[in-house]
Amino acid sequence: MIQVQGLSKSFGKVKAVQEVSFSAPDGEITGLLGPNGAGKSTTLRMLYTLLKPEGGTAKVDGFDVTESPVEVQKRIGVLADARGLYLRLTSRENIRYYGRLHGLEGEQLEKQIDSLLVLLDMQHIADRKTEGFSTGEKLKVAIARALVHNPKNILLDEPTNGLDVMSTRAMRQFVLRLREEGKCVLFTSHIMQEVAALCNQIVIIAKGKVSANGTPEELRKQTGKETLEDAFVAAIGSEEGLG
Amino acid sequence: MKNILVIFQKEMLDNLRDTRSWMTGFFWLLFGPLLFGGMIVMLGNTFKESTEKPLSLPVLGVEHAPNLIKFLEQQNVIILPAPADLQAAVIAGDINVALIIPENYGEDFSAGETAAVQLVFDSTRQSAIVDIERAKNVIQSYSRYIGVLRLSLRGVSPEVMSVIQIEEMDTATPQSQALIFLSMLPYFIISAIFNGASPVIIDATAGERERGSLEPLLINPLSRSWVVIGKLLSAMPFAIITLLITLGGFAAVFQILPIEELLGIQIGFNLSTLFSIFLICLPIVFIACAIQTLIASYAKTTKEASTYLPFVSLILALPGMALAFLPVKPELWTMLIPTFGQQILINQFLRAEPISGMNIFISALATILISLVITFIAVKLYEGERIITGK
Repeated sequence: MIQVQGLSKSFGKVKAVQEVSFSAPDGEITGLLGPNGAGKSTTLRMLYTLLKPEGGTAKVDGFDVTESPVEVQKRIGVLADARGLYLRLTSRENIRYYGRLHGLEGEQLEKQIDSLLVLLDMQHIADRKTEGFSTGEKLKVAIARALVHNPKNILLDEPTNGLDVMSTRAMRQFVLRLREEGKCVLFTSHIMQEVAALCNQIVIIAKGKVSANGTPEELRKQTGKETLEDAFVAAIGSEEGLG
Repeated sequence: MKNILVIFQKEMLDNLRDTRSWMTGFFWLLFGPLLFGGMIVMLGNTFKESTEKPLSLPVLGVEHAPNLIKFLEQQNVIILPAPADLQAAVIAGDINVALIIPENYGEDFSAGETAAVQLVFDSTRQSAIVDIERAKNVIQSYSRYIGVLRLSLRGVSPEVMSVIQIEEMDTATPQSQALIFLSMLPYFIISAIFNGASPVIIDATAGERERGSLEPLLINPLSRSWVVIGKLLSAMPFAIITLLITLGGFAAVFQILPIEELLGIQIGFNLSTLFSIFLICLPIVFIACAIQTLIASYAKTTKEASTYLPFVSLILALPGMALAFLPVKPELWTMLIPTFGQQILINQFLRAEPISGMNIFISALATILISLVITFIAVKLYEGERIITGK
């Protein structure tokens, strides 16, 4: 469960995020949709505690990101914008490192790693060094290590960026599966179709502000448009960044 | 706290797999002792050559001054026939110094006038200086000898000529010259420590940022101080191994080379000295890792970091280099400066001078305290947003 209330952040004179509010309930997929540079990643970075909000609050399962960052970190699994791996370590070693940082150990940790390897269909690359992996393979490792502690809230920053058609499909299946498990999934995308296909709720962000918020159905009604694409264009006020 | 260990283990595993990087580092380590050994052999040979070998002097116009030649030969000078182009031979470095006796030498000499001879040499050639001095001296002593004879013939006391006599009492021995040279040794040791730690640190800090693995790492529930401390600690084994290899290399060079024969001194480089130097250097390992962690964390790329770090080690090791020419007494204030104090102490060990335990303690304490402050600043850097945004 993620609750964001009036969140603001600026870098110098640039107001990256202004008064953003939304909530992402458990068992649902919430999409942050917006053109490049709209403030999606900055919002996410404040949620996963790496940037400090200048105004407003953000809570994960009731814990404030500024007041109790460690409690928040324990409850989130994050695929950040930067998703670099340790190239001299194998997939398994990359995942194990994060598991140990979350205090997991021994058989419990190894079992969890094995089940993630199966879930993400990556047993064949489990014990290979990650140097030379394809974008899709690297992404799988990055997701597995983010979920190694079985978090309730999952934040994905542009998870399908740079993936081929098959990998994108697999990724979407995976996100739907997380919803079935009752997780709170929040992901950002600039691809409207993707958000439309997956999300229970869409938060449209443009120029650092929330310009529309609701289910796909509600968005169409709010903007008075036939299709979601038109609704999106109406909400952000331009066709910029449509994918 | 346990996370320090997790980070330490991961960095060790990661860096040990980077075989090429640390192998290259270890090859560099041999460079110091080999260079040092080569310099000792060269220095030793110059000592020997200049003092023991007779002076070879090509002379043009031997026939004009048979008596002078006879005198030179008596003074253990080997007279050689001069090559056709004397000056060219000197410029080319084939001859250190040569003598030209002009045709009118005999005339002037017999007439009792000042007879001119010419010495041809290149004063910028370091290796020739000893020979040049010897040639000048031996000709001047002939001149004095004849002058004394002439005065005596005229019934004048030769003492009239020497109003003041300079008696030289040079306290420098070949040993102390060699010791000046030995003062450069701490420089090699300290740079080795810095160089041993830097690839590991660059990879764990700037490299982590460049790869884009820092941001996900920091989302894990752990204090940023543990991240910094874990990374810093993981560089230490590499720095310590580098230190041991360098000390071992120097010990081997001093063992293999006949130092006593070459330089006429004994260097205190036995096992117990070696161990003491190792212990003195441990605080340097700390400061080398701390300061390089701090600086490499500011750098955005590994390339940027690898341009900064060599300067750090150079700046810290350089004052010790100056010790070779401007000896500093081991006073209290010198011990407060990290790496400087240790360099003085290492020198004292090598010269087998009495060492104050207090100085060792103070230098270690000062270095450790300053390292702790630097570590604290690095932690603060990691706690800020700059480490994420790069702004």
